[in-house]
Amino acid sequence: MSTEAIAAERPKRNYNALFGLTLLALLVLLWVILSLATTSFASANNISNLLRQGSMIAILAVGQTFVIITGGIDLSVGAVVGFSTVIAAMLINAGVPVFVAILITLLVGVAIGLFHGFGIVKMGLPPFIITLATLTSLRGIGLLMTNGNSISINNDAFQEFSRNSFVGVPNLFWMVILVGIPAYIFLHHSRWGRYLFSVGSNAEASRLSGVNVQRTIYMAYTLSGLCAAFVGVLLASRIGIGNPTQAEGWELQAIASSVIGGTSLFGAVGSVHGPLLGAFILATINNGANLLNVNAFWQRIITGLLIIVIVYFDGLRRRGK
Amino acid sequence: MTSTAQELHPAPTLQPGRTILELNGLEKRYPGTHALKPVHLAFKAGEIHAIVGENGAGKSTLIKLLTGVMPRTSGEVIWEGQPVALATPHEAMALGINAVHQEVVLCRHLTVAANMFLGEEESRFGLLQQRAMVKDAQKIINGLGFDLPAHVVLGDLTIGQQQLIAAARATVRGTKFLIFDEPTAYLTRKEADQLFKLIRRLKGEGVTIIYISHRMEEVFELADRVSVLRDGTLVGTRNIAETNEPELVKLMINRSIEQIYHKEHFTPGAPIVETKNLSGKGFENVSVTVRAGEIVGLYGLIGAGRSEFVTTLYGRHKKSAGQILWQGKEVQVNSEHDAIRLGMALAPESRRDQGLCLNLPVGMNLNLPIYKRISSNLLISGAKEKTEADRQIADLRIKTPTRNALASSLSGGNQQKIVIGKWLAHGAKLFIFDEPTVGVDVGTKAEIYRLFSALLSKGAGIILISSYLPEVYELADTLHVFRRGKLVATHGFRTADHEDILTQALAEKQEKQGGQK
Ligand SMILES: Nc1ncnc2c1ncn2[C@@H]1O[C@H](COP(=O)(O)OP(=O)(O)OP(=O)(O)O)[C@@H](O)[C@H]1O
Ligand SMILES: [Mg+2]
Repeated sequence: MSTEAIAAERPKRNYNALFGLTLLALLVLLWVILSLATTSFASANNISNLLRQGSMIAILAVGQTFVIITGGIDLSVGAVVGFSTVIAAMLINAGVPVFVAILITLLVGVAIGLFHGFGIVKMGLPPFIITLATLTSLRGIGLLMTNGNSISINNDAFQEFSRNSFVGVPNLFWMVILVGIPAYIFLHHSRWGRYLFSVGSNAEASRLSGVNVQRTIYMAYTLSGLCAAFVGVLLASRIGIGNPTQAEGWELQAIASSVIGGTSLFGAVGSVHGPLLGAFILATINNGANLLNVNAFWQRIITGLLIIVIVYFDGLRRRGK
Repeated sequence: MTSTAQELHPAPTLQPGRTILELNGLEKRYPGTHALKPVHLAFKAGEIHAIVGENGAGKSTLIKLLTGVMPRTSGEVIWEGQPVALATPHEAMALGINAVHQEVVLCRHLTVAANMFLGEEESRFGLLQQRAMVKDAQKIINGLGFDLPAHVVLGDLTIGQQQLIAAARATVRGTKFLIFDEPTAYLTRKEADQLFKLIRRLKGEGVTIIYISHRMEEVFELADRVSVLRDGTLVGTRNIAETNEPELVKLMINRSIEQIYHKEHFTPGAPIVETKNLSGKGFENVSVTVRAGEIVGLYGLIGAGRSEFVTTLYGRHKKSAGQILWQGKEVQVNSEHDAIRLGMALAPESRRDQGLCLNLPVGMNLNLPIYKRISSNLLISGAKEKTEADRQIADLRIKTPTRNALASSLSGGNQQKIVIGKWLAHGAKLFIFDEPTVGVDVGTKAEIYRLFSALLSKGAGIILISSYLPEVYELADTLHVFRRGKLVATHGFRTADHEDILTQALAEKQEKQGGQK
């Protein structure tokens, strides 16, 4: 326990920003090393590719982070992505205008998130359980709807979008910015974001302060579902098919990105920039490993080790304060 | 919400003496417990109304009903002449009813300012006005005379300081009716004085106050009237001028106690533990000896290094220098496990975080340290588990429906009894009690002190940490005063007077603050 004087003098507000800078430095370091070690890394083509690879996980990680900050977890996001590709593909093939199809797909994501909120708040199910249930059943529903086949999307304009760039930057990466900036403002500068933290820190205290804890939980899962459905739309555009088994294991990558980005699985600690950087660090490692011809099995092992190392050091610093 | 702190300040227009809140047969049943039997009571606007009663008498339950935290079973609450439902905390707050709850319920990860405005953030165009909130929070804190920073993370403050923030917070919420549930339990004397000043000031502004405490002297210092609850029944309301401590105690526990501080003197035996110039995180150069049959008291402000000292002795933290001698031989205590094996037992200060498994049954909590003894090989003896738990529950008069009730469903004081009780059966040689009677009622305090004597008579030694001076003063054979991590003075049994000890504990701080002003 600290004495009064120490507690009063310690300025530790900028911890978040500092940690973000460390991650950024790590990312840059990785890029520098890979540019020196391989000839192809620094090519415009490869960088675009890397940004595309990282973007979708990054968006998932942002939604995931909202949930984790409240002390929960959303295991369903990968399945929601796969399911959303099916919804989008079916609607577009049925001749629904692309804009409307996207909107409906996003609404499906919202509905799934609301369902999670309902299960947690009203039925008292642990987040792990309800989202795990959705994970398996959504894949099943998608398979039923498609009879186990992939649906090719017959709309070129829709598919172009994910291949094109705007001022030299892939459209998919622009989508990260489109999600990231409002998410940042929401989490760090709005009262709703504040409530995510307060609920994760102490739900009882929040309730006694007049915070609507139930609504906050609904909100977190809804946003996560929304992000996942959005990623589903982007994925459908990128691969040009609707297939419920796509995005296998992406929930774990999203969680890993979030955790590498400094989010605490115990809740109440997290940011938006952290998970974004985390996602691109993971993408860089995969990309680099490919270029260096590292065995794909090793990639998984390296990713696992990296998670342990980063989270361990983060924890050390937090405790060492 | 765009209102500033100034607008949130209370502006009551009440004439004192008029009834502001009336309980009409208010009742609460929990499964298995009739916590509050129909209570009829009227609170007058602008009064300080103390509520006293044993642990589990229903005080906190009453507060929970009034603040909308729990729904009532039956009865009516009349607020300014109108019946009100009080179904949610939000509704109670909107009426101007606020509470500082028994356990600090704030968010440890958020800043002081964020906590103060939680649920009532200042924002413009949907954006939080973080700077403005920190500034306003600081203004309010300074205005109340608390010397605390608004921008730090709450978890970095001591529990006492957090409690002050909780109190300060209640004042920014347009409060007309403010309830304090044992606010001084974790406060140092100085902090308590600041709080009393705040309470008097609020009363001056016309706020009605309910003040719950187990400390009689506080009740007599502050209150205008006092009500006594016993077993969920309101057994009496008195004007403070027309009653006295023995009468209240008698009402509370239905018997009289001649002596709370039960003290027997034993001839001290051989040293059980000695520290020689022990240093570690938060304290340095502490040399203390505990002999069989004696109580060594450690007094000081919260954060003075007493808890750090004992937890280091107990192996939780690494010592940086010095020696620990156990029964005359130097030992290395590298973990709690080592400490327990040597024969130490520690009842920690923060029951929620360190002392209890809240969502486990009472019986399991009590038996946790002794499972080794009550199991043969791998299997726990069910019978022994039952008898041990039931014996403890009876000995300590822990108020619980059965040993299978969850620890979280017990009243605060009864939870504290578990924290203490679980070590009594363990048969250790050295007992370390860190703030053992926080939130414990008078009757139980007397019982706990008797238990101390029983332990001493069996040849154990006790280290007693308390921020409540009368307790260490009346019980300790040797009293050490800590200040800022150092042992600054040592007294025998009742050899110094209160004032001297207080000055020794505070001295440096007061000089420093004098200098700042
Ligand atoms: N959530 C709950 N579920 C079941 N029983 C409860 C619950 N909360 C309190 N009780 C029981 O209600 C009774 C009154 O508890 P309450 O917390 O009001 O006591 P109190 O007077 O505040 O005591 P203390 O001085 O120890 O804080 C106790 O017997 C307690 O075990
Ligand atoms: Mg209580």
